[in-house]
Amino acid sequence: MTAKRLSSGGRIDRAKIIKFTWDNHELNGHPGDTLASALMANNQKIIGRSFKYHRPRGITSSGVEESGAIVTVGAGARKEANVKATTQELYHGLTANGQNAWPNIRFDLGFTANYFSRFLGAGFYYKTFMGIPPFEWGRGTQIWMFYEKYIRKAAGMGTASRQPDPDNYEHSHGFCDVAIIGSGPSGLAAASRLSDTNEDVILIEQDFELGGDYLNHDDKSEVLVQILSKINKSNIRIMKRTTAFGAYDHGTLGLLERVGDHLENPLSCQPRHRFWTIRAKRIILATGALERHFAFANNDLPGIMAANSARTYLNRYGILPGSNIVISTNNDSAYIVSQELQKAGASVTLLDARANLPNHLTKKIAEEGIELISSAAVSEAVGSGRVSKIKFAKITDEKWTNQGEKKCDLLLLSGGWSPVINLLSHRGSKAKWDEKNCCFLPGHTEEPLELIGSARGIWRTDDCIQSGMNVRDTLKKTTCSPSGLNKIADNKGWENPILPLYEVSSASNKKAFVDLQHDVTTTDIRLAHQEGFVSVEHLKRYTTLGMATDQGKMGNVIGIALMAEALNTTVTNVGTTTFRPPYTPISLGALAGRNTNNHFRPLRRTPMDEWNLSHSAIMTHAGLWRRPWYFPINGEHISQSYIREARTTREKVGLCDVTSLGKIAIQGPDATEFLNRVYTNPFAKLPINKARYGIMLRDDGIVLDDGTTWRLSETDYFMTTTTANAARVMSWLEELLQVRWNTLKVHITSVTDQWAGCAIAGPASRKVMEKCVEDSDSVSDENLPFMGVKSTFLINNIPCRIARISFSGEMASEIYVPSDFGHALMNLLWDATKSLGGCLYGLEALGAMRIEKGHITGAELDGRVTLEDAALAKMGSTKRDFIGSALRKRPEMIKEGRPQLVGIFPENINETFNAGSIICNENDVNGHGEGWITAVTHSTVFNHWIGLGFISGGFKNWQNKVAIAADPIRNKETRVKIVSPFMHDPEGKLHYG
Amino acid sequence: MDKTDIKRTSALGKYYVKGHYGNVGSSNIIFEEIKPLVLFQIAFWPDTVSELETVLNNTLGTKEIPKPGSSISNSNISVLRVEPFKIWVRGVLEESVCNETTPILDLSHSRTNLLISGKDTTNLLNRFLPIDLRENSFGIGAVASTMFHHVGVTLWRTEDGYQLFLPRGFSLSLFELLLQGAEQFGLEIK
Repeated sequence: MTAKRLSSGGRIDRAKIIKFTWDNHELNGHPGDTLASALMANNQKIIGRSFKYHRPRGITSSGVEESGAIVTVGAGARKEANVKATTQELYHGLTANGQNAWPNIRFDLGFTANYFSRFLGAGFYYKTFMGIPPFEWGRGTQIWMFYEKYIRKAAGMGTASRQPDPDNYEHSHGFCDVAIIGSGPSGLAAASRLSDTNEDVILIEQDFELGGDYLNHDDKSEVLVQILSKINKSNIRIMKRTTAFGAYDHGTLGLLERVGDHLENPLSCQPRHRFWTIRAKRIILATGALERHFAFANNDLPGIMAANSARTYLNRYGILPGSNIVISTNNDSAYIVSQELQKAGASVTLLDARANLPNHLTKKIAEEGIELISSAAVSEAVGSGRVSKIKFAKITDEKWTNQGEKKCDLLLLSGGWSPVINLLSHRGSKAKWDEKNCCFLPGHTEEPLELIGSARGIWRTDDCIQSGMNVRDTLKKTTCSPSGLNKIADNKGWENPILPLYEVSSASNKKAFVDLQHDVTTTDIRLAHQEGFVSVEHLKRYTTLGMATDQGKMGNVIGIALMAEALNTTVTNVGTTTFRPPYTPISLGALAGRNTNNHFRPLRRTPMDEWNLSHSAIMTHAGLWRRPWYFPINGEHISQSYIREARTTREKVGLCDVTSLGKIAIQGPDATEFLNRVYTNPFAKLPINKARYGIMLRDDGIVLDDGTTWRLSETDYFMTTTTANAARVMSWLEELLQVRWNTLKVHITSVTDQWAGCAIAGPASRKVMEKCVEDSDSVSDENLPFMGVKSTFLINNIPCRIARISFSGEMASEIYVPSDFGHALMNLLWDATKSLGGCLYGLEALGAMRIEKGHITGAELDGRVTLEDAALAKMGSTKRDFIGSALRKRPEMIKEGRPQLVGIFPENINETFNAGSIICNENDVNGHGEGWITAVTHSTVFNHWIGLGFISGGFKNWQNKVAIAADPIRNKETRVKIVSPFMHDPEGKLHYG
Repeated sequence: MDKTDIKRTSALGKYYVKGHYGNVGSSNIIFEEIKPLVLFQIAFWPDTVSELETVLNNTLGTKEIPKPGSSISNSNISVLRVEPFKIWVRGVLEESVCNETTPILDLSHSRTNLLISGKDTTNLLNRFLPIDLRENSFGIGAVASTMFHHVGVTLWRTEDGYQLFLPRGFSLSLFELLLQGAEQFGLEIK
């Protein structure tokens, strides 16, 4: 191929020069070029190396179907592999390199693989590396595991950057009445038609310029200007550089907008890609069709290209891609290509596989001086590193016989056209093979989705325009029937019938490629058939046909046709694989959007977050919340810190931010009845200004959550839940009210964010409160007894709610203030606490103290635990029904020997054991054991390691027995004693004060 | 109502810094935190609609409850129908006006209220919110509960722009995302 930029023509801006780098060489292009067109204009022939055999590859097309010019763009952290040069817009400073080659794509030592290619057919790896005697005798993958890394290094495509992606990505949502995908003749006609209506239309185009096939014409620019002028004046929203990669339920489309890939210096505040979710009332697919190649010997040599792509390079980019050109076709579309190339100065020979060509076709060709050979097609390409001549054959009695040779520097192929029906296929519509058009046409759909133009098998431009003009004004009658979809194709189709042409066989032993990207040959297809892979789905997986980045856009039809031939059946019977999203590759960054790093999950901060940080808190995550873990002093390690915090709290007083507890307002005349049904213990007689500990079960009798609920008035309650289960409880209560008990007059509202909470625990906690409330008498034991609730004011008139409840087992209260006063609350409490020698404590000390008390949390409530298992049997009312009351009595739930909550001590108090350990019989450390450990800590009360867990039969079965806490992952075993779960102050004297 | 002299602390705190950000030379997005937020919820049931109407008429001078997903406003107060049987009243309201059949709840501290205005506001919001904000679907006065990075938020369209009610605990995290998204348009924080 001796390509050259013509002195005029094309849609590029010749007044401006773009400098870019290709394989370390600086080259020039123009605005309006793609990387492929710029490389072609610089007469670069080898652009890539093939996947398996490292064969040289050139530019094979001008669009997303590209199989040869696949390159690596950018460098460093922005290095991106497997970019199709045909879709990469050129910009100043662009750096591109060939890939899958060493030392470079022009001279690649990997090409030696080609000499062993007869051994590298389909299934080579399975046959060679798996189950090979005498190593594996029919099964096993050890040999494969050894060689895999070397094979992957030799084969494959480009390599990704290992550095963090420096670019931003974002998501966006869009809505419209009509989404038109594709801005070719039919898409623009539809947009123009709808611009006269009140429909809200989005026009989506993957290219950086609107026009589609218009851009390839030498005589349609005026039409394009006119129609674009009309559309630009309308309210139609135009999205260029945007690919509709997937179609989903209810008119939802996934789009990828390439915001910054064409910019030399994109703004740092702009995303590189934008991932759109578009919801359209109806979708019009004007996605066009892709021109196919066909299989023959050496059909992958650089200098072989789709015929109409040559027209694109000529008319859009002003490049004559060759001077001595052979075109091999089986349909009419190549004729205009031959004429335009001949007019542009090339010498063109046209091979048409069809026999009886009509005069109106042959006459025009003859007038241009083009040599036309009918009943002929190329049978072999010859050349070293690029095509230099071709052999052609003639067909007689369905057999190809070599007829001669032609010198050429460019071979163009047109083996028919495949409508782009991928998006329709995403919706489950099965494509139908059409014998007349030699392509898959859209199947039936009941969705508001229409196909127009060549996407439904309409080939002539004027007919495509007409199909666009025929789109409906409104949503009415948008359901497409099979007959409706195919009607125009049936009527018009090809003006002169196409001849099925998928392979030109010859005596040559050269490779004939079906899928260029994955190096799948005709031999591979036939081998798969010989080995019994008759299903198209199996064929795909065995040969990897259609599994490369082009997803079979070029090769699938050929592969299926060859399989049909091998099976002696029709293409219809073989069928096609299902197209799945994405239509073209999507960057992983776009899928993630802004939800990365710190924003991978939303961070929930308590109102005291800054306060905690400014008081040396080391934070940890509890669900989505960020909570203080511990408050080190003088460089303490966590173990030193939490032990000090727990000890100080037990001996004096400590403060802990407990804002993250779930808080739910339960209001309405039936609130009490509602709670009575939800909780296992009764709430009907709970007095106003009193709190009660409650347990909720699931329907199946398993414990869902626990917490305290405060009665604020006859009809107003304040429920607290565990941090972990807050959202689950809220959803559960809402479901009960909306679905089961919709006659109950109850409203629930999450007030977790309304209230900032702090626990004050320890013997001196009352003194702290006395210093902080307006009326110190209001928190006396008489006015605020254990489980009492008080709505009052702190100093400075800060409204608050106080409840005398304890999670630590010490005398304690929880104080809640409106969240914006969270800082003020902590300042107030901390001043008082400091003066009493108290401390701040975090989750670790909180956990230590609750383990000592045997209080359960999410660690214990793992979805398997009943009330009895959690040593809470007394909480289950026997006098009334509640959620879970029936199913908790199933035999399996109440049988003897279920694992029950216990405390765990090491036999040797100097030893420790791990959370997650299995508890086993002393003489049988095996399997799942007899129980498990849920939580461990150093106890400041006992001054040794303790734990909580579950063991078969509970404490009564294991009293005075030794068990083994086995941690096989960490290879640790500890002899332990099973004790009551209520290890500290079992009578609960301390929390009464 | 809060009768304390203590100043309320915004959840956005020191991260709310006034100024211009992002795309130089343009401010197509303007953020303004509305504070202090005074927000009450009043709940009702199908058979207590008339009682709520009386409450609203007596206290706010409004004659009817707005339809679900809409709002009504006067010079002092706005009523937003955020759920079929829950309204939000933004503005000063005495809690005593309600009773057990129209329970009231102070939510003033539960949300961060952000006014977002400027010509690219809709574009910015649709970077995060999956709701149709076109004029004929979400006109002035419209209210919707929706998701913002998996967090439930409330959006209200007013004459001045869009008001976002962000749950207080998540508000800084979501505000950071809004800042990132807004910079491409040019942003001013007022």
